[in-house]
Amino acid sequence: MDDKRLKDVRDTIQNIPFVEELNWIEQDGIFINGEVAINFEELDEALLFNFKISPVYPLKNYEQESITFYNEDLISYNHVMESGNICIHTSHSTNLKEKIRIDFESLREWIVRYYLKEQKDLNYEHILVEYSSIDDQYFSFLFNETYGQIPIGDFGWVELSSLNRGVYKNKKIENYFIKKFISSSGIEKKLSWSKLYDNSKITNRGVYYFLNEPPASYGKFALKNLEELDLPTDFLEFLHHFEKDNLKRSRGRIVPLLLGYRINKNESHWQTALLEIGKFPLRGIPIKKDGKKTGKWTGELISEKIQWGLTRNVSYKYFFGRGVFSEEITQRKILIIGIGAVGSIVAKTLTRVGCRYIDLIDYDVKEPENVCRSEYDFFSGISAKTEELKRILAGISPYVDVGCIRSDLFEEIIKSFYQLGPHKKSLQEVVNKYDLIIDCSTDNDLMYVLDAIGLEVGLLNMSITNHAKEMVCAFTNIYDFVNNQFSNVLQNDTEDLYEPTGCWNPTFKANYNDINVLVQYALNHINRLYDRGKAKNNFVISNNDGALKLDEF
Amino acid sequence: MEKSTYLEDALETYKMRHIEDLVKKYKTRRDEIKEDLKEKFNSKAYNPFNSGSFAKHTAINTKFDLDLVVPFKRDSFSTIKEMFDEVYDFLKEKYQDSGKAEVRKQKVSIGVIFYSDAEGDRIDIDVVPGRELNDDDYLTSKDLHIYFNEDLWGYEKGSYQKTNIQSQINHIKGKSEAREVIRLLKIWKSTNGEDYKSFLFELFTIKAFDKTEITGDLWDRLKVVMTYIKENVVKDGFNLIDPGNSNNNLMDSLDEWQKEQLSDKMKNMIERIEDNSENLKTYFPKNKKFGEDKNNSSEDNSYRLKGGTAGISIPKKGQRFG
Repeated sequence: MDDKRLKDVRDTIQNIPFVEELNWIEQDGIFINGEVAINFEELDEALLFNFKISPVYPLKNYEQESITFYNEDLISYNHVMESGNICIHTSHSTNLKEKIRIDFESLREWIVRYYLKEQKDLNYEHILVEYSSIDDQYFSFLFNETYGQIPIGDFGWVELSSLNRGVYKNKKIENYFIKKFISSSGIEKKLSWSKLYDNSKITNRGVYYFLNEPPASYGKFALKNLEELDLPTDFLEFLHHFEKDNLKRSRGRIVPLLLGYRINKNESHWQTALLEIGKFPLRGIPIKKDGKKTGKWTGELISEKIQWGLTRNVSYKYFFGRGVFSEEITQRKILIIGIGAVGSIVAKTLTRVGCRYIDLIDYDVKEPENVCRSEYDFFSGISAKTEELKRILAGISPYVDVGCIRSDLFEEIIKSFYQLGPHKKSLQEVVNKYDLIIDCSTDNDLMYVLDAIGLEVGLLNMSITNHAKEMVCAFTNIYDFVNNQFSNVLQNDTEDLYEPTGCWNPTFKANYNDINVLVQYALNHINRLYDRGKAKNNFVISNNDGALKLDEF
Repeated sequence: MEKSTYLEDALETYKMRHIEDLVKKYKTRRDEIKEDLKEKFNSKAYNPFNSGSFAKHTAINTKFDLDLVVPFKRDSFSTIKEMFDEVYDFLKEKYQDSGKAEVRKQKVSIGVIFYSDAEGDRIDIDVVPGRELNDDDYLTSKDLHIYFNEDLWGYEKGSYQKTNIQSQINHIKGKSEAREVIRLLKIWKSTNGEDYKSFLFELFTIKAFDKTEITGDLWDRLKVVMTYIKENVVKDGFNLIDPGNSNNNLMDSLDEWQKEQLSDKMKNMIERIEDNSENLKTYFPKNKKFGEDKNNSSEDNSYRLKGGTAGISIPKKGQRFG
């Protein structure tokens, strides 16, 4: 069987036109190893590549190709790993011979693009870092952009707050986010987090140094030793003092040395060397003058392998890089009134699509039976809806500022005073500070009042029929439109309701998925309206036995 | 629900006769201004005449205009602006300075807004000054130059435009079936806060009646007009010529996106009403002051006990969920 596989591999490789020579091939345990000379018209001379084929070939494992080509002499070229591996991404095939032909073709493509043409990729490629664990624990450091760039050569302190601990590659990981850089001269540069993250407790401190280039060899492999960095003496002294200042209280604590560098005109990136207080790789050197000790000391780095921590740029544009809503929505101040099933799903979705300002209002308390079809947790027990949802939304995005508004604003104040001239004006001012109010409260009286109060702000009313058969969304003429839909147009079954024992206020029947389908479809449509500046016509989405239909009015 | 019956009922609730007393007040105020203007500009002007939706019989009682057009002689003022300013100055002195009303310059008119009377009614009359194009040709041509006080419909503030308000009034005279449709479209426009000019719908409707065979009941007629708008508003080369000025194509006042939007709105309306006639209530709601929908009565909209079962709250039919 193995002989057959080896023979197939050998024959196939030998038949590839640009393989000048298969120098050798052998079965080595479970692997097939060999060496080929590749040559084709554009090449001056043949290039040698070793290859290694793993037993899962032609399938991939861990999303990686199971054939490896390598040549250590090519390490300086793009898409070559430190061990000389050529990084190729090829097409899928389950047929051994076909896959060999595909993969060798990919190797040929790499030679043309990156060896012959020395192409540079448009996207910045981060340097390759091998992360270390210390005492079986990894460390991560998340950052975003600072208000104002940090100059090259600048150094100072860095303040960190903790996120939850997690698991990374079967070991524990301690997660931090960076709050602030404070230069040695005292200039503070805060990072751009939401208020909640901005105000969170400092749980660790470290140091930073801003380099003039990435801490890497060949521009892509993270350095192995701090000595290679050629850090200036004044920074080493600063580092020494930092350790000394913290030695008593924090011996053994792992602190980050953040090394910054520009990746383009406007953006910086950071890598983190992990240092243990008490074991900084520093030694004191006496300063001599004319061969005599002056009594002063300077610092020098000791040759020691760098323990790299994980560092991630989570700036808004990367955090939401895979997909956001239109800025016409995400940058607006939004108020959601009523955060039951519909309102909580709306709030959570808006957070995940990049909204920055969401205020919540609801007088209600989350009971355990609310959990099954809304965005609340059982874990938090009985809890005020606004406070719990605020926590959940903040847990999702470090860029959303969530406020809980006093429920009596709408329940009592607005309803009581909306008709009175002077009060009406001040109420208008309170409400008009928002750009968009999404009313998911199903409160007809409030719907009437909001219509009557005359707001400059965009209003959107969202509610559903029993069994989540329809969702009614209204932007204009809201009170009359919505009432007509529910009273006259839609077949809203108000007999078959869910009536838990002892409850005098029955509720509608629908599961999380039923409701979410409608909410997501509605939000998808609303995003399109805002993004394309289209007329915000009222609309109704109906779910007819799984067939969704959106009717605009 | 029978569509035409509903539409006729709805139209009925917007009739001006429901607000006769108020209309009387308007007429009194208008006549008062008319007399004052006649006296002031006796030799400079021809007889002022009534225009606006009330004069055209396209008024609805929630939105109507009693306008007054003052045709000035060619040699009465050296510029159109001077005419506009002088009429404004006179009305301001006569009504604002005497504490009767607020007087303000509007787009092409001067608004006289009387302060609320004992019943809380606030009467406003728009006065539109116009100057004949050539000496003594008004009585035969009825052509006037009107002044633009704001950038409007493609005209710059300070410019003027030829119009023939009498022709505009005549254009719609005797077309009672078209007027019903116009009133319905005005109800829709006003209910939904649409920005399109009423005049646009007037011209669309009359053209639809001219170009299409329109028969059947009120819904049939409305639907034909809406379909006509839907199809033609986005057509290249489609014109809506102002009967008061053959150089004024109302279609030029619409941007492309506005045309597409209007077409979409007509399409949506037709489809939704055909889906379910109850949607008529959304687009053409009755004026609640003068007619309550039996199916939408306050009784149905409130909580009530079902079959006398004490202590159980029965949700109303229109209950919403979220």
